[in-house]
Amino acid sequence: MLLNRDDWYDTSRDLDWTFTYVEASDAFPARWSGVGAESADAWQAWDEPFRVSYRDYVRIQREKESGVKAVRSAMMRAGVYEKLDAGHVAASHLHMGTTCMVEQMAVTMQSRFCRFAPSPRWRNLGVFGMLDETRHAQLDLLFSHDLLKFDPRFDWAQKAFHTNEWGVLAVKNFFDDIMLSADCVEASLAASLTVEHGFTNIQFVALAADAMAAGDVNWSNLLSSIQTDEARHAQVGFPTLAVLMETDPARAQTSLDVAFWRSTRLFQVLTGPAMDYYTPLDQRKMSFKEFMLEWIVNHHERILEDYGLKKPWYWDQFMHSLENGHHALHIGTWYWRPTLFWKPNAGVSKDEREWLREKYPTWEDNWGVMWDEIIKNVNDDRIQDTLPVTLPSLCNLTQLPIGSAMSRHDLEPHQLVYKERLYSFDSEISQWCFEQDPERYAGHRSFVDRFIGGEILPPDLGGALAYMGLTPDVMGDDAYGYAWAKDYVTAEAG
Amino acid sequence: MSSQKATPQIRTRSLKTWSAFGNLGRRPTEYEITAHNMNHTTGAIPLELGPDVNGNAWLLEHRDATKLRVADWDLFRDPAALTYGKYVAEQDDQETYIELLLEQFDRDGADRTLSVQALDMLGRALAPSRYLGHGLQMLSAYLQQLASSSYVANCAAFQTADQLRRVQLNAYRTTQLNRSHPDRGFATSERGHWENDTNWQPIRRAVELALVEFDWDRALVATNLVVKPVADLLLIDLLGRQLAAAGDHLDALMLDNLWRDSRRSQSWTAALTSFLLESDSSNGPVLQGYLDEFAPLGFAMIESGVQLLSVDGDQESAHLAAGVRADWATIVEAGGLRLGTG
Repeated sequence: MLLNRDDWYDTSRDLDWTFTYVEASDAFPARWSGVGAESADAWQAWDEPFRVSYRDYVRIQREKESGVKAVRSAMMRAGVYEKLDAGHVAASHLHMGTTCMVEQMAVTMQSRFCRFAPSPRWRNLGVFGMLDETRHAQLDLLFSHDLLKFDPRFDWAQKAFHTNEWGVLAVKNFFDDIMLSADCVEASLAASLTVEHGFTNIQFVALAADAMAAGDVNWSNLLSSIQTDEARHAQVGFPTLAVLMETDPARAQTSLDVAFWRSTRLFQVLTGPAMDYYTPLDQRKMSFKEFMLEWIVNHHERILEDYGLKKPWYWDQFMHSLENGHHALHIGTWYWRPTLFWKPNAGVSKDEREWLREKYPTWEDNWGVMWDEIIKNVNDDRIQDTLPVTLPSLCNLTQLPIGSAMSRHDLEPHQLVYKERLYSFDSEISQWCFEQDPERYAGHRSFVDRFIGGEILPPDLGGALAYMGLTPDVMGDDAYGYAWAKDYVTAEAG
Repeated sequence: MSSQKATPQIRTRSLKTWSAFGNLGRRPTEYEITAHNMNHTTGAIPLELGPDVNGNAWLLEHRDATKLRVADWDLFRDPAALTYGKYVAEQDDQETYIELLLEQFDRDGADRTLSVQALDMLGRALAPSRYLGHGLQMLSAYLQQLASSSYVANCAAFQTADQLRRVQLNAYRTTQLNRSHPDRGFATSERGHWENDTNWQPIRRAVELALVEFDWDRALVATNLVVKPVADLLLIDLLGRQLAAAGDHLDALMLDNLWRDSRRSQSWTAALTSFLLESDSSNGPVLQGYLDEFAPLGFAMIESGVQLLSVDGDQESAHLAAGVRADWATIVEAGGLRLGTG
């Protein structure tokens, strides 16, 4: 008789055997599995929250591929890209440059699950995750390659992670850690559960909505199609968490608290500016904060509480950062725009400012006053005073500028000495993350460490730009050539 | 600020393809566009972390300190030029074919009329091979993780997925056979066969030993030149022919279809070893040395494996073993290496 998937599925995951020719602990070393011998049996309870057959997978994915390809061809023929808003385009440059290689890295993380995960069920599901991530990397590459003829910035979809651009180094540092150096359990909590289940909703759902509103049907369709895969394979984090809550709940709490803060900081630079500044005002759906509150605070964190986890100890500081961190990173990235491979939109015309005030009641006090200085310099034709001459000091955990985590009034230093080296942090939380496992972070040298150490020559901004691989044709500048600042000319004159 | 168009402020050069291709002299294929230069971990310190962290220590020891010398890994190409889109489309076609086979043979009530000879072979050889398939799945995934080139890593990723396909089809057939022949131990006795049957032990031993080969070059040879090709020759190719001879045409046709996946693995492996031999003259002795070291595992697999598949005694076993050895030698030679006599 013909069978349904559930008839044969249990047999297909009944795959463990007792090793006798080598030690099982040698074949599944704890440094990759994340599981010591003492808790190995507990992982037999790992049970996937969804079931996939290979047969269904290739059929469904083939259909998805056809759908994306059809839209891609149609949109290219229609010449849609040339009609897009410059601010929106900056968001797609930023996304492709910082995401494409991460998708490829995720292939390897999933492949690690296929090889070393402590349950054959998980090892099997890793195969579909590995294929999904291969798809995402290749879709991003094809999308970006199509657009190379319009803008060399799309070369950075493939090139960025081979450079030392500081923002890319921050992204690389985080994902190299949680995807390519972490054991399966840690990777599952940090990457599958926190980043994929929690935060990529913002990047993919929110940006997809904004892209559609901006008329970028191709990119919107791509993001939505990718999200259908992410929503499925991100769920493998939950059975991992369920087992860990039985065997080592303290480890689960710490791992997730560290991953949550690091993800927050990263998405404050990757997604916050794109949502609240680059996307044209009339096309914005939600603010970054609103999206974070709905998807992260209300949805993701509530699920974690169902597993018996507490809110991170730093919750109040997180909420304060949610009000400020991405604004700090936006003004910072716009100011250091020659160090970017995309053209940031300042996003502070009068109308946009009104929107920011409404969404963020403290925005004027914290950030508006700083933009006023920039606006004055722009309108006084002193562009040089809006450009950097030095580099910012960077956090040794997040690799993001010191002073960019909270409001401009929260600038007390957070530093510690570990093995005779001084480490600086953007917040008390980042310092706490470092202290949980110093060896995980201590050996790394930030961009500024290298600059001070004499690796970047000449030791000035020009030398730093060359070290970052930034060439004039991709180097960041204001997306609209400062046209937005003219809003203020009359008022200032008056 | 809204609705200003993406007009460049400064004149920008127009790129036709990735700058990483350099002067390619032609338009790259879609396959190359999606596979080129997508490993960012090939610098002196692989990951953007301290040099001593787990991931860096592992890559430095097991990938970068190995003996293979290659100036530009990204010159390798998969003969099948597989992209994700091409892979799922091709495999969807193959799975549709399998579905049609299953429907047709089910309509004919084929499982009820299987011979004792065929049922015996299905029980002792086909059904337990899902453990073998899982072992090969893990081994294939490892080749992906430490590959220096994304071109190579992608081949290994698709090979890994092929193994899950095999495991799931195996589970499907095992379940069907259990329903039509509930007294024969299908779906319950396979682990016992895999762990205890004398004739399975050299195969299981080879899989387990390969699973602790962590240096990438050694893992490549152990997995893709020894354990996998020999296992596939025995438990896909030969098993299919033996089952056909015993009158089980459904499993024979399904295994014949899985053999397509095996051939693809053999094809990219031969292309890779040829590429390595051409890349540096020192690579030949390295690869040949590993092959000579691991080949006894393969010969032992063959000697016992044919016992699982033989129905007519020692003379037939010897004949089958000679055939598998010859086929294995051909696979190895396609990549420019030689198989000793065992």
